[in-house]
Amino acid sequence: MASNGAIPFWRAAGMTYITYSNICANLVRNCLKEPYKTEALSREKVHFSISKWTDGKPEKPAIRSDSPEE
Amino acid sequence: MAMAALRREGRRFAPLISPRPITAVRSPPLAPSHEDEGPIGVRYVSTQVVRNRMKSVKSIQKITKAMKMVAASKLRAIQTKAENSRGLWQPFTALLGDLPSVDVKKNVVVTISSDKGLCGGINSTSVKISKGLHKLNSGPEKETKYVILGEKAKAQLVRDSKKDIELIITELQKNPLSYTQVSVLADDILKNVEYDALRIVFNKFHSVVSFVPTVSTVLSPEIVEREAESGGKLGDLDSYEIEGGETKGEILQNLAEFQFSCVMFNAVLENACSEQGARMSAMDSSSRNAGDMLDRLTLTYNRTRQASITTELIEIISGASALEG
Repeated sequence: MASNGAIPFWRAAGMTYITYSNICANLVRNCLKEPYKTEALSREKVHFSISKWTDGKPEKPAIRSDSPEE
Repeated sequence: MAMAALRREGRRFAPLISPRPITAVRSPPLAPSHEDEGPIGVRYVSTQVVRNRMKSVKSIQKITKAMKMVAASKLRAIQTKAENSRGLWQPFTALLGDLPSVDVKKNVVVTISSDKGLCGGINSTSVKISKGLHKLNSGPEKETKYVILGEKAKAQLVRDSKKDIELIITELQKNPLSYTQVSVLADDILKNVEYDALRIVFNKFHSVVSFVPTVSTVLSPEIVEREAESGGKLGDLDSYEIEGGETKGEILQNLAEFQFSCVMFNAVLENACSEQGARMSAMDSSSRNAGDMLDRLTLTYNRTRQASITTELIEIISGASALEG
């Protein structure tokens, strides 16, 4: 892959495109006026429980419950 | 008075203490609390037992009917979301194609299932297809790993494919499904798993009665480059102009991540719709079965009741005729 232009700053910081777009979306949501702002922010809450397995053994599950990423 | 006593008997069937014209030849086993023996040795089930069973079957029928209506209302809510999300991945398929037959070294099978049960056979079909994909893609130098969403697939896959599991994700439906949630999830998967090709297994929602298990394939950027060289649909990628000073490799990487996120979003929504639809039809058939069971039990109950009344009548009359001579 030829390095034509510089690597975008977010990729250099270790973020994926998805993380980048989520942060941008959150910024846009924060620009809304009340009451739409609280509605939008509460709509986008995240909750799931993820557990990584190695060699057939589960590790302790981590619960990712946060409001949209900051 | 005898008839009144008999009627009381038929309704309550309590142990026999009430005053009746008892003749000396009355057979004791006619006191029914459990097995009932008529004079010829024909056996009937006690009406008490049948009545209890009828009561429980009726309440089960009510519960399943209520569950069906709840599932129908939930289905209405997510169906529009699912149909709208189809527009997210269609451009990707138009651009990059969907190549399930691609031959890669590191396959990751993402199985999507539900957390709750009582939804018919959809989770078993997803797991069956995942296992089939695993077998299809196994061979020298090739490996297949599982990423599991949902409790039901976890329960089935943990039993025999323990060492191939990479990640397990549950409690996804605590909040109503949104793109943010699924994209965070997709991000976590991408960070934790090395892959050449991701195969997402879910149940596509065609209509309330038809859920088709489908596999969507998302390739990693390196494999896209490889396939582009061999021509075919991906070979046209070079004919696109790239704006913005990024290289083709970077764009492919961004596209691959975004494609995965969009395909996952659609897959999770469609699977949720299929789950509610399957639950509707499962609860509907179970209500109908409960209704049939209730009919049969009612017949048994009436038959038993009438038979016992008849035997009492026979006794009384034979007793009376014995007295007369």
